[in-house]
Amino acid sequence: MTRLSVHRWRWVHKWSSVVCTAFLLVICLTGLPLVFHEEIDHWLDDDPPYAVLPAATPAASLDRIAQSSRQLYPGQVIVSMFTDDDEPQVIVTLATSWADYNADPRTGHWIKFDARTAEVLEQSKPAGEDSQTFMGVMIRLHMDLFAGLPGQLFMAAMALLFVIAIISGVVLYAPFMRKLDFGTVRADRSPRLKWLDLHNLLGVVTLAWALVVGATGVINELSTPLFALWQRTDVKVMLDRWQGAPIASPAELSSVQAALETARAATPGMTVISVVYPGSAFGTSYHYLFWAKGQTPLTSRLFSPVLVDARSGALVGAVAMPWYLRALEISRPLHFGDYGGLPLKIIWALLDLVTIVVLGSGLYLWLGRRASSPATAGQGDTVLAPAHPGEAAE
Amino acid sequence: MISTATLTAGRVWRWPALIAVLTSFGLLSALLGEGGIWWALSWVTLALPLAVILACAARARRG
Repeated sequence: MTRLSVHRWRWVHKWSSVVCTAFLLVICLTGLPLVFHEEIDHWLDDDPPYAVLPAATPAASLDRIAQSSRQLYPGQVIVSMFTDDDEPQVIVTLATSWADYNADPRTGHWIKFDARTAEVLEQSKPAGEDSQTFMGVMIRLHMDLFAGLPGQLFMAAMALLFVIAIISGVVLYAPFMRKLDFGTVRADRSPRLKWLDLHNLLGVVTLAWALVVGATGVINELSTPLFALWQRTDVKVMLDRWQGAPIASPAELSSVQAALETARAATPGMTVISVVYPGSAFGTSYHYLFWAKGQTPLTSRLFSPVLVDARSGALVGAVAMPWYLRALEISRPLHFGDYGGLPLKIIWALLDLVTIVVLGSGLYLWLGRRASSPATAGQGDTVLAPAHPGEAAE
Repeated sequence: MISTATLTAGRVWRWPALIAVLTSFGLLSALLGEGGIWWALSWVTLALPLAVILACAARARRG
């Protein structure tokens, strides 16, 4: 590599890192508890225990659960039902009206039913009164800094800069290591040299993991625009047939339990985990939208939408997911590290800590750059001098 | 004939490239394989960077 190209890559590495480091530190620190969110949620969980029933107890009809929900909140609309495949629960989300809910989904509230007895187990606090939980704050800081979609796009840009910093770091690694053995840490010369060596070592050994978590982070942050794109293209084309038809009102709805069975029959080998009612901005105006997932580690991350006509109960069919939403779905586990048991989560957290050290040492090297040059540059950084003409001049 | 630049790159990248390939394998094995050995392989390969860091730090401390 020529001196000029090394110089340019150094510029890319320096500025991509400098801009994203503060935000990446927030992302890495909040990511630590988020890796263990299942364990922490379970630990903080003060929900009433489930009734002990024989394992073969059949699930209650969703019609019964829908009816109970409407009796508890007359005049409200059912937004969706989540039929867990993990615990015997059905979570029904309701809202005062579709207009309210579609304007701000946070106006919704939920009721948790026992899936077998259809008894109410727990309810959310009224909309707006839900206090911030620790994990809720962590996820907002991690995802959007409490700034909604603009915050997500901003964090996507920061994650992209992080990926660029990794790539430019890789390019600079070879000229830097030309005269050093792999894993050299010169701890006895100067602190700056020690941290430079550590920065390079920690960065290069976590390279593949950090690239994957960084790149999948970018994709995850783009989920809102990606789903919007799908709604405006494939979904719109599919719904053309119903264009202009009046929205199915609650009184016109066919049996949701029958629709669930229709959706199940249409997705053999899959598990239906939720239904979105007609009227939701996350569904259509005329259908029950069911989400089904596969049963292997990989396919359980891939969700397929199935539409059932909400008035007639007739199957409309499964909707093909475009490649970019499949990429988004694959990006989730690869970003969260939640697909290989607790040991994988612990390794994920340790790699996250290593990344914090890489970021911190990078910041230290950048902030301390003047202190080491030019007077002291000759003591420790001589090895760098031939390959890094920019070192002293920064 | 192999140039000295290629030799240098090969020497410099031998270990980092091997670690990157193994960690990539670990990232995929738990996702594509069904539990059991595939999980264990992903734990071992993804813990490799951590082990290398500890080994290098220990070596530096010994001088």
